[in-house]
Amino acid sequence: MKNSDRNLRFGWWSLLVYLSLGLTLETLHGFKIGWYLDVGNEIRRLMFTLGHAHGTALALVSIAAGLTARNVSGFELRPSVSFALIWAAILLPGGFFLGGIVTYGGDPGLGVWLVPVGALLLFYGVARFAIDLSKLK
Amino acid sequence: MPKLSRSWWHGFFVIAAIAGASALTLVSLRDFRREAQPPENRPIQSQVAGYVTSNACRACHAENYASWHGSFHRTMTQVATPGSLPDDTGRLELAFEGRQYKTERHGDKFFVRERPEGGSYGQPQQVVLVTGSHTLQVLWLEAGQGRTLKQFPFAYIVAEKMWAPVGETFLLPSDLKEYYSLGAWNGACMDCHVTQGQSRFVEGNKWDSQVAEFGIACEACHSEGREHVERNRNPIRRFKLHLTTKSDPTVTNPARLKGPDSALDCGQCHSVWAFNNMPDKIDFNRHGAAFRPGAHDLAQRFVVQPNAPDHAEQKDFIRRTEPDFFSNRFWGDGMIRVTGREFNGVQASPCFRSGEFSCLSCHEMHLDSPGQTSLQTWARTGQLKPKMDSDAACLQCHKDMSARLVAHTHHAADSSGSRCYNCHMPRTTFGLLHAMRSHQVSSPSAQESSAYGRPNACNLCHLDQTLAWTAQNLRAWYNQPAPELSQDDQTIAAAVQWILKGDAGQRALIAWGMGWASAQKIAGRDWLYPYLIYTMTDPYAAVRFDAWKSLQTLPGFSGFSFTYTATDRSLSEAAARAYEKWLREVRDENAVYRPETGLDSDGRFQQDVFQRLRSERDNKRIILAE
Repeated sequence: MKNSDRNLRFGWWSLLVYLSLGLTLETLHGFKIGWYLDVGNEIRRLMFTLGHAHGTALALVSIAAGLTARNVSGFELRPSVSFALIWAAILLPGGFFLGGIVTYGGDPGLGVWLVPVGALLLFYGVARFAIDLSKLK
Repeated sequence: MPKLSRSWWHGFFVIAAIAGASALTLVSLRDFRREAQPPENRPIQSQVAGYVTSNACRACHAENYASWHGSFHRTMTQVATPGSLPDDTGRLELAFEGRQYKTERHGDKFFVRERPEGGSYGQPQQVVLVTGSHTLQVLWLEAGQGRTLKQFPFAYIVAEKMWAPVGETFLLPSDLKEYYSLGAWNGACMDCHVTQGQSRFVEGNKWDSQVAEFGIACEACHSEGREHVERNRNPIRRFKLHLTTKSDPTVTNPARLKGPDSALDCGQCHSVWAFNNMPDKIDFNRHGAAFRPGAHDLAQRFVVQPNAPDHAEQKDFIRRTEPDFFSNRFWGDGMIRVTGREFNGVQASPCFRSGEFSCLSCHEMHLDSPGQTSLQTWARTGQLKPKMDSDAACLQCHKDMSARLVAHTHHAADSSGSRCYNCHMPRTTFGLLHAMRSHQVSSPSAQESSAYGRPNACNLCHLDQTLAWTAQNLRAWYNQPAPELSQDDQTIAAAVQWILKGDAGQRALIAWGMGWASAQKIAGRDWLYPYLIYTMTDPYAAVRFDAWKSLQTLPGFSGFSFTYTATDRSLSEAAARAYEKWLREVRDENAVYRPETGLDSDGRFQQDVFQRLRSERDNKRIILAE
């Protein structure tokens, strides 16, 4: 499978997952679930919201990367970039979600440590993508 | 006129936009600076070393912040704003001691004008602070002398939604008109109604008072937070603490302290305390309290327990310089008799000796079980833990008692006489116009009443019974030695004696107690009317207030109108009106009046008994105040 195809497929499936999680959050709001909405659960709410927002945005980034690679002639999506963008879209929002499940007062749970790893992968993937695109004649 | 090029217009708009934005920024900055200037006519919140205020705690401890924010600790002193003052503050017209007072509102500020008898209204004085929250609110005015405050002569009684002279909202002799003198807030009230206050005496009656935070905020109980905040910026440190059960040494958690240290945290305010000596007093005044939560003593101060062996020299000094100090705060045996000083009671309780018992055995400073009660209810009910308003509080330790409850209490299991609190924490403390439970856990005795005049738990419920009856039952049930009792103690109900010939504090407790539903159920209601109506003319306003409130609990008198702060003549007229109403409209002709109640078969006073007891009244001056 070509890298661009992998990113496209991953992008659409992850978009479905993260939008579904968004629906779940809206349901928690709708039924006024204290576990999510109480003042003491502010960090959980923040983590889940960040997870949902980042997941959705990174799914779109993955789709955009796949479409760009398909439509820009002469441009090849590096395997490392494809890998970085996909794992960034897993680790970064996943870290937020995991960090929100168990919280310590004003601190998220240990899962939040996945976020900086995902952020580094994202930074690498986007930077490399931009450089490669700029080098095209 | 030459036509300007397109690029010139673009340049013009860019420059104009930058200039406009800069001008707006400068205006905002000027307004911000003006707002940021601290007011000079009142105490201010200032950077007190090491203190960061509750704003800094909020980000990480949102839940604890929220429950504290809903508590009355937060609102114990507030800057005067439309949100913190009673709704009608801006439109009052009140009179006190021949002076007229008129309040005005200008924007978000409130002012008072004062007019002496025969004179005209003077300059407006701004209302700057308000102290007290759920029971009573006292307003403080700028005094024109630095940050010194002057008391507005009226206080707002929250439950009644009414204003009354401050002196008539505490149990004070009627000749004590202005209880808080100029500067009293700076010199005394702020010791406990703010977080880490520094009175900062300047000269004469001038103070330059500053506080870490108005109200009782996080750092009052957890100690100053700067180090805690700074060191916990490091996420590794935080996660290390999250993953262990270790306490964070940069902050105090009273829930993790030993009982005595935890209780002392509350006791830094909720106690009768005194300074060790003059240098300590000056240091406290200048730099604030040296006590920090977790410490074993109050540093510059000590908790005054009349009969404890500590600080004998200081207590002797108090006795010499303020002879009424102890009698205005304690019963004769050293048990506390004013509210707000609960630590004195807790410390003297047998439970306290275990080393585990503390205020947090029954109360919680943060709502830990939000699902069980609302924040408002929790705050209004003394921040009790769930079920701590029941026997469950005592059964935490006295586990075996539930199995032998009836054998122990000699009352039916569902009776109020089988509730631990009613016998072991009866309402023998008074303040802010109501009786409150003693926090000194004790057992009822006839001796405490005959020797020290403190109403015992039995007669606070069995209002129609004599002290001899109590002594006899306590001897039969608990083998308590019966004290030697007077003839009256054998024939006249103890409550009747206390309300007629007791001191003002005893009268107040019984006036309140006659409105207690449990007591009315046991002792009957019919005979209470004449006593409560008569007590509405008591020389102490607080006693009159409670008599009136208790009368309102009786059939036929719900909503009965009475101005307890009125002149003696008006009080007598109101009492006569109430008596006529009872006699003609309310009195049950079939009611039976026990001889111990001092009433004849028609429910009227037995005049010989009534007059004699009244003439024997203990008229010593009593001050039970904050």
